[in-house]
Amino acid sequence: MKKDKTILIVDDVEINRAILAAIFCEEYNIVEAENGQQAIELLDGEQSFSAVLLDLLMPEVNGIGVLEEMNRNGSIRTIPVFLITAAESQEMLLEGYNLGAIDVITKPFLSQFLKCRVNNVIELYEHRNELEKIVAEQVERLNHLNQSVVETLATLIEFRDCESGEHVKRICGLTRILMKEVSKTYPEYYLPKEEIDKIVTSSILHDIGKIAVPDNILNKPGKLTAEEFEIMKQHTVRGCELLSNIPDIMDAGIYNYSYDICRHHHERWDGRGYPDGLKGDDISIWAQVVSVADVYDALTSVRVYKKAFSSEKAVDMIFNGECGVFNPKVLYVFKKSLDKIQEIHKL
Amino acid sequence: MALLEDLKVLGVDTEEGLERMGGNSALYERMLFKFLDMMQQSSVQPDFDSNDYEEIIEKAHAIKGVSGNLSLTPIYKAYSEVVSLLRAGEPDKAKAELINVLPVQMEIIKCIEKYQ
Repeated sequence: MKKDKTILIVDDVEINRAILAAIFCEEYNIVEAENGQQAIELLDGEQSFSAVLLDLLMPEVNGIGVLEEMNRNGSIRTIPVFLITAAESQEMLLEGYNLGAIDVITKPFLSQFLKCRVNNVIELYEHRNELEKIVAEQVERLNHLNQSVVETLATLIEFRDCESGEHVKRICGLTRILMKEVSKTYPEYYLPKEEIDKIVTSSILHDIGKIAVPDNILNKPGKLTAEEFEIMKQHTVRGCELLSNIPDIMDAGIYNYSYDICRHHHERWDGRGYPDGLKGDDISIWAQVVSVADVYDALTSVRVYKKAFSSEKAVDMIFNGECGVFNPKVLYVFKKSLDKIQEIHKL
Repeated sequence: MALLEDLKVLGVDTEEGLERMGGNSALYERMLFKFLDMMQQSSVQPDFDSNDYEEIIEKAHAIKGVSGNLSLTPIYKAYSEVVSLLRAGEPDKAKAELINVLPVQMEIIKCIEKYQ
């Protein structure tokens, strides 16, 4: 029979190792270590182990030392450790359990029971390790799928709109730079990296509602009439309607950020934006950040109704209020990050 | 099998010991010879220092573990007692227990030596 699993036996007394080896050698490959230091080196090496049978009392590094190392490098989570003991040092046993040992083997060994117990636990751990692997793969696939859904939706607008896909990429880049900087600079706006990642992904969808704006308005060269502008403004609300029809195919976090950014990326700090006329920090920080990014990108790009402005001109226009009022903190961060922002615009 | 039969007479539970070795009597005998080496290198004498016996506990503990695994029952029982007495701070009682077991221990060792 081919043996594909290996047990590490750690005991300073050769006789004890030999007996354990005799008990398990039929079903498992056996590797022996005669002290804790050797065991740690073996566990760090190439070989993978299905279980460790660990004596507690050993010279130099004892069993507790091995357990501590396994906690440090995390292997205690994937490899079951059995403590070998003559059962009279209860304190040490308890310490061993607290350090993650799965069970205790008392000397003299009862070979039949010992085999059953070790086999069962190894099987259990294999199952658990396998499940954890599957879950990690599924999470990875889900993240990937989420990204694809969002990107697919964004592509839809690119077909309609004369703005290129580059606009979407630049908005992501700008949003990432500004969110990271805002989160770092102002504790009240702090967000962990995973959330910033979701916001960046969500920023792709800020203009999804433009799908519902008629061509003659969306691509009109020149100034919109008041009536046309009212219709154009609806792209914020229409985007939310669209998203609310497909909440199930998106990650809940991305859905919430996308919805909020869609609706509020035209709000302004002084309450004179649209559609809800929100004021100050009633507008989420991510919507505030995307609105600055969106305005800067629109100014510095060619549109059917305008030429591209230089970065310097765009910054002037944003700071002197020609594009509405923004949160001074976001503007401060914007100015501070200008080098990085201009870098993105060369793309 | 003569060694195991002789040991059985001396109170060694050879059936249990053999079962632990998966029925492999050659392995059992080899381990018994290893036990001789171990006892030569680190035996426990009853004349130890009654005030400083940490090292003695460790040695007795090791002998206890191995004799248990080899089913050397009289030795295992005595050293279990010795270890608990020493841990309980009763070195004199432990010494008495040791003196008590030494003749049996000697007989078992001599018996194994005959077959080495």
